[in-house]
Amino acid sequence: MGAERTAVIGVGQTRHVSARHDVSIAGLVREAAQEALDDAGLDWGDIDAVVIGKAPDMFEGVVMPELYLADALGASGKPMIRVHTAGSVGGSTAIVAAKLVMAGIHERVLTVAFEKQSESNATWGLSVAMPFQAPLVAGAGGYFAPIIRAYIRRSGAPDYIGHLVSVKDRLNALRNPKAQLHLPDIDLKTVQESMLLWAPLRLLDVCPSSDGAMAMVIGSEQAAAAAPGPVAWIHGTAMRSEPTMFAGRDQVNPQAGKDCAADVYAQAGITNPREDFDCAEVYVPFSWYEPMWLENLGFCPEGDGWKLTEAGATAFDGDIPWNPSGGVLSSNPIGASGMIRFGEVAQQVRERAGDFQVPLKTGKALGHAYGGGSQFFSMWVVGNTKPES
Amino acid sequence: MTRFVENSIVFPYKRSLGPVIGAFMTGLTEQRILGIRSGDQVIVPPLEWDPQTGAELDPDGMVEVGPAGTVESWTWVPAPSEQHPLGHPFAFAFIRLDGASTPLLHAVDTGAPDALRVGARVAPRWRGSRVGHIGDIIAFVPGEQPEVDGPDSGPAEAPVTMMDYNASITYRNPVPPVLDRLREASRDQRIIGQRCPVCERVYSGGRGYCPIDAVELGEEQDVDLPHTGTITNFTIVTPVQYPGQTETEPFARVFVLLDGTDVILPYQPVVELPVGEVRVGKRVAAAWAPPNDDIDDAGAMGGAYGHLIGWIPSGEPDVEDPDLVNRIF
Amino acid sequence: MRSLRDVAVVGFAQDTAVKDRDRNEVEIISPVVREAVERSGLKRRDIGFTISGSCDYLAGGPFTFVSGLDAAGAWPPVKESHVEMDAAWALYEAWVAIQTGDVDSALIYGFGKPSLGDLHEIWTLQTDPYTVATLWPSMVDLAALQADVYLSSSGRSDRDLAEVAVRSLRNAQRNPYAVVSEDVSVDELLGRPVTHRPLRDTDIAPITDGAAAIVIAADDIAKRVCERPAWIRGIEHRVDPQHLGLRDLATAPSAAQAAERAGVNDGAIDVAEIHAQFSHEELILREALGLADGVDVNPSGGPLTSNPVMATGLVRIGEVAGRIMDGRAGRGVAHAAQGPCLQQNLVCVLEGSN
Repeated sequence: MGAERTAVIGVGQTRHVSARHDVSIAGLVREAAQEALDDAGLDWGDIDAVVIGKAPDMFEGVVMPELYLADALGASGKPMIRVHTAGSVGGSTAIVAAKLVMAGIHERVLTVAFEKQSESNATWGLSVAMPFQAPLVAGAGGYFAPIIRAYIRRSGAPDYIGHLVSVKDRLNALRNPKAQLHLPDIDLKTVQESMLLWAPLRLLDVCPSSDGAMAMVIGSEQAAAAAPGPVAWIHGTAMRSEPTMFAGRDQVNPQAGKDCAADVYAQAGITNPREDFDCAEVYVPFSWYEPMWLENLGFCPEGDGWKLTEAGATAFDGDIPWNPSGGVLSSNPIGASGMIRFGEVAQQVRERAGDFQVPLKTGKALGHAYGGGSQFFSMWVVGNTKPES
Repeated sequence: MTRFVENSIVFPYKRSLGPVIGAFMTGLTEQRILGIRSGDQVIVPPLEWDPQTGAELDPDGMVEVGPAGTVESWTWVPAPSEQHPLGHPFAFAFIRLDGASTPLLHAVDTGAPDALRVGARVAPRWRGSRVGHIGDIIAFVPGEQPEVDGPDSGPAEAPVTMMDYNASITYRNPVPPVLDRLREASRDQRIIGQRCPVCERVYSGGRGYCPIDAVELGEEQDVDLPHTGTITNFTIVTPVQYPGQTETEPFARVFVLLDGTDVILPYQPVVELPVGEVRVGKRVAAAWAPPNDDIDDAGAMGGAYGHLIGWIPSGEPDVEDPDLVNRIF
Repeated sequence: MRSLRDVAVVGFAQDTAVKDRDRNEVEIISPVVREAVERSGLKRRDIGFTISGSCDYLAGGPFTFVSGLDAAGAWPPVKESHVEMDAAWALYEAWVAIQTGDVDSALIYGFGKPSLGDLHEIWTLQTDPYTVATLWPSMVDLAALQADVYLSSSGRSDRDLAEVAVRSLRNAQRNPYAVVSEDVSVDELLGRPVTHRPLRDTDIAPITDGAAAIVIAADDIAKRVCERPAWIRGIEHRVDPQHLGLRDLATAPSAAQAAERAGVNDGAIDVAEIHAQFSHEELILREALGLADGVDVNPSGGPLTSNPVMATGLVRIGEVAGRIMDGRAGRGVAHAAQGPCLQQNLVCVLEGSN
């Protein structure tokens, strides 16, 4: 028994900024949702179910905020689900929404993900001291820096590779009016001279903290046919998880990421990701994660990721652009960041990406998110043609 | 006997309000309670959207209600918490303010429960100094006339757009038995781990379970671990200030591979090892607090545990092994 | 809508404790997961999907579900997800995953250790962050207000509440996972103090640490591994708006909608397990679900006697499924709720015959 054909029929997002002091939490979420509905040519009453995702509730200090948000999202009398899978949550949320349609249960599902990090302090929110647990010591960077050091030693990558990604993604963001960071003067030297936060990571190698929301309307084949604009067909979805720590776990190139990619590629008929995709939006919160994920996702053999970055293959005009929107390095409302990746690739295959639209050859693109200690992965492949089954 | 560690988390939030809630809060500073029109209803407190239809409600359609109203239902709070609006027993009630279609939840101060009944008329007792917070109304009190508590400092000078919110929740965490064993062992300058009976992996830091085989690890799985090892990886943190961050200078946390084992102790503090000399392959030995020192359990959160306070250079030559750096956990 | 796959509960396990137990979440979950898998007759590696339900705030730190994964056996990597909801909704998501054809079976678990913090205050933070949470009404304060609304609009009295509590406490005497139980008469109970007008302590669910796990499987797999699977005949959930003033708190419209869609009354109901954390909630929910007077409600004692938060709803499904699997019941309904004053509701209809 195969799943129903399913498509993204509307996409909306807020502009991402460090602090949206002009809106309530509901106002922020609603802004993205309304734009997605408008894009899909739908009204609130047309929506069958709402799926909400966000990272820890402590960022805003509202427990299960979807309960309060039900009022703003016209969810009264509808099914509503709240997903939380750490940093991968934006992607997982979109997948949970898509499955409701694939299963033939609903016709049109609204999915939204958000974070309003200005309500608190994100570094603090992630570093709340938990008794008897290894602390993150001052934010996620402290956790990931050793893993990056391991990658650098293992691959023999020159020390400036990460900085190249920091520059490239920020230059891409200049084409994206909704990106938070617009740094027109950024270059290798500026990154190299920025403050050393968690060696080898410098300030400009690290994602910002953002207020923002992303929303999509996901519809059935019938709903897609009725959509006013082009749609992005979902060719595959996959999620994988593994435990945080055990002797022998490869944190640099996690098995769960490899398995997740293999699963989603098999569903979408991808055999050579570098050639079969027109672009990818991949969760790169720290610059070095671009070469690391290039390898993990099979865009090149292990150890060669940094060579693709250095050669410009992942640049906006490269053969396989990564994060043409500017990526997580340019906007990071944590709970929404994964869904932004998923939504931006939908926009690419719909040819709705505006100034950061890449040329379509295969018409397929990869959206990716990860979270926890590089242990939760969610991915989808979207395309501009209807899948065969 | 189970020990407990108390852990109070004070959550400070700064909320932006948006146009509708902002107008409601601004109104409170002016001793006015505002609702919003939705069809023929007046909703109090106001919402930005109609929950049934999703339609946007017009901020220009905000209307003043009350100030007096009628108690529709209530409950008595005999022992208020620290965060409740009043320090003495009071009622929480749904109050239908005159002109409103929906009841408002707030405190009613009558001194005793027998002074309150459904249908009672109440009016707000305003705080003299108002900031744009639901607590600008201290409580509702019997009668038709609002009152002001203390000197009235008047309305806010500018429209209220932000709100402070402090949530404090205290957690009382039982100390897992395995951590007590670790702590006791550290008093004797021993480091213990647990060996999984299924896969034979050894776990450090008192995990109490093997994530591979999903089995619990008890006292019978305890094994002694060596006191020397090699730094496999590290993180140097340049502190950014946030509540609870006490460090001001860059500091190191290292991963130590214990000799002759597969065990990594993650995020360990270092002793007498300057940040500039922390490197992969560096040889280290356990550093201990004097046995009679009192060990603060909160200090357990720093990575080392009990009397093990960190790792000190052993003076041996560095280990050259390109695979070392991969050993993070 | 296309036809749905038949999916059944084939394994269930739970564990609970009163507060202050020294095991951490992983140590609570791990044996429960193992037992549910053993009872299912499936091998852990053969179960296609894993999903949990929990709440970060109960333990006071972000990502508490991450360590929960250590109890689930996630190596080699597994297809896995998590909802920040009662695990009954995790079961719903697992059921959807099976409907897509991607997987044929799933392990669902939920856990909570509310004894660590102040549950009734933590749940305050579920309310509107601007105009309600700022007054700090506890979960019990809000429930007591709802009880007052319900009693005055229904014409019932606290004797009706006491009857619910008495039956729950008596039933709990047969439930090893109940943390309170008692053989007490209604009159005796009415002589005890009203602590949160109109509620007495016996009308309020006890603080309970615990976990529960369920294994579900599709079609032939369920028939192969289980002699008498508990087939899911309907599973639906709905939410009401939160604004307390806009809701008629004497009713639970979203529970009624979910019950109707799930087909609760398409056949006779032998047993109902209802997620009522307060006595009056059971009365409101009986009406919303349209249960006949003779239906055996909460034979386990229900949440009034055992309330492992974030797993309580999943336990309801497990309790009904357990009675079907061992032949004590033919058709039953399980209900889960979350949010202030029964804001969000899930209804699951289970049947023994295929």
